[in-house]
Amino acid sequence: MITYKLNKDRRTGEDCSVNRTDDNGQVWSIPLVLSNTDYQEYLEWVAAGNTPEPADE
Amino acid sequence: MALTKIQPNIIAVANNVTNKTVGNTTSIPSFTFDGAGVVTSASNVAISGAGITANTVANSAFQTGSVENYLNAQGLDFGMRNRIINGTMIVDQRNAGANVVISSNAPYTVDRWRAQVSQHNGTMNVRQDSTSTAGFTKSLRAIVTTANTSLPATSVTRIWTNIEGLNVADLGFGTANAKPVTLSFWVRSSNTGTFSGALTNYDEVRSYPFEYTISTANTFEKKTITIPGDTSGNWSSNTDGSFALNFNLGSGTTQLGTANAWTGSWKVGSTGSFSLAGVLNATWYVTGVQLEEGSIPTSFEYRQYGTELALCHRYFLRYGGTGNYEFINFTTLIATGSGTAYGCVQNPVQMRTVPTYSASNLRVVDENAAYTVTSISGSGAVYGNNYGTEVAFNVSSGLTQYRPYFVQINNGTSTSHYLYMSAEL
Repeated sequence: MITYKLNKDRRTGEDCSVNRTDDNGQVWSIPLVLSNTDYQEYLEWVAAGNTPEPADE
Repeated sequence: MALTKIQPNIIAVANNVTNKTVGNTTSIPSFTFDGAGVVTSASNVAISGAGITANTVANSAFQTGSVENYLNAQGLDFGMRNRIINGTMIVDQRNAGANVVISSNAPYTVDRWRAQVSQHNGTMNVRQDSTSTAGFTKSLRAIVTTANTSLPATSVTRIWTNIEGLNVADLGFGTANAKPVTLSFWVRSSNTGTFSGALTNYDEVRSYPFEYTISTANTFEKKTITIPGDTSGNWSSNTDGSFALNFNLGSGTTQLGTANAWTGSWKVGSTGSFSLAGVLNATWYVTGVQLEEGSIPTSFEYRQYGTELALCHRYFLRYGGTGNYEFINFTTLIATGSGTAYGCVQNPVQMRTVPTYSASNLRVVDENAAYTVTSISGSGAVYGNNYGTEVAFNVSSGLTQYRPYFVQINNGTSTSHYLYMSAEL
């Protein structure tokens, strides 16, 4: 199952990317940029009612 | 007296020469010779038989721009005619020729080309292959590993490539000025019959199914198909996807439509076309794919490998796999604690957008030690753009705060040693 976990920028404290873990364990760090198609898929995943893991504090 | 030769001095004095017979046997059309030296024929002049002897037409016979003007009038551009990237299937950064299993997924195979099996339980393997035809060294091969002869109506089996809007904006699709395009490709299959594909928009609401016939099994054949420009629909002219070129390998009835006509829904092939997905061990190869402006196919536009690779890098880049320790673009890191070091990974070309990163078998090093990278995270939304992104490289422990480090890819040759950057469509 694909999972997502947010990352915070260390200086601003803002969410800056989201890590996706694929079924095979491969991890992708996705920027929160609308023209990135991986981010578009993430937004669809969220729109489908899913919630990512929060970023580490 | 029979006229056997027109001398220059005759041209100089004659105003009109009409319907003259040369040597009693050959009729020539009407010509007008004016005082400025311009010769005009009353109709087209056909040159047959031996034609013009090689090298007998002087370069000076062609006025500057005459050839260029002709090609422009025909819609035949010059360099960079081909809107397809990696049409020769020569670049395979992700898989280096290894098979990619296609089973309810849609992964990338060679660069810029994806394969998909959707909504049915068939499978196929797709890879870069050395089976090719004259003028090419590689092809993309699909082989059916689990056949399905009862495809659900909405199922899809295809190989396709998406084209960025910036690279086709001049074609005017979606406007009244849409221009025709011509698709050329070399294809081979273990099976003969009428195959199909479709040019669609990226939004998958406009489609032009096309057909091609494979006449002889296991033999490369060149196909050319002219597609009228689509004056309807949304066709991006920016960095988003605009065109999608699909080769259908077996899809359900809902996904197939009437050939040679634009339709307002998503189709990947034509109704009644051959379904490769239904034949176990059936093979299909393609190479030399070209999509160009105009209705006249031109010869395949070969690009130097470095150019083709750089074009691919706009969408995907892989570091690693050379068998040596590879510094990632000479990136220097600064440790912010014992478990994390940050650095900016610069892209070798301007990518389409801020890329997604993935890494395997990386290590952070200084002059004394190496620390295995356990994970990475890009800070793309804050410190990233098309040129580079600040990336955090995480290790279990051992780094010294504020100390500089390098990041390397381990010295493996397998596909499991990499840093990926993906800005795909």
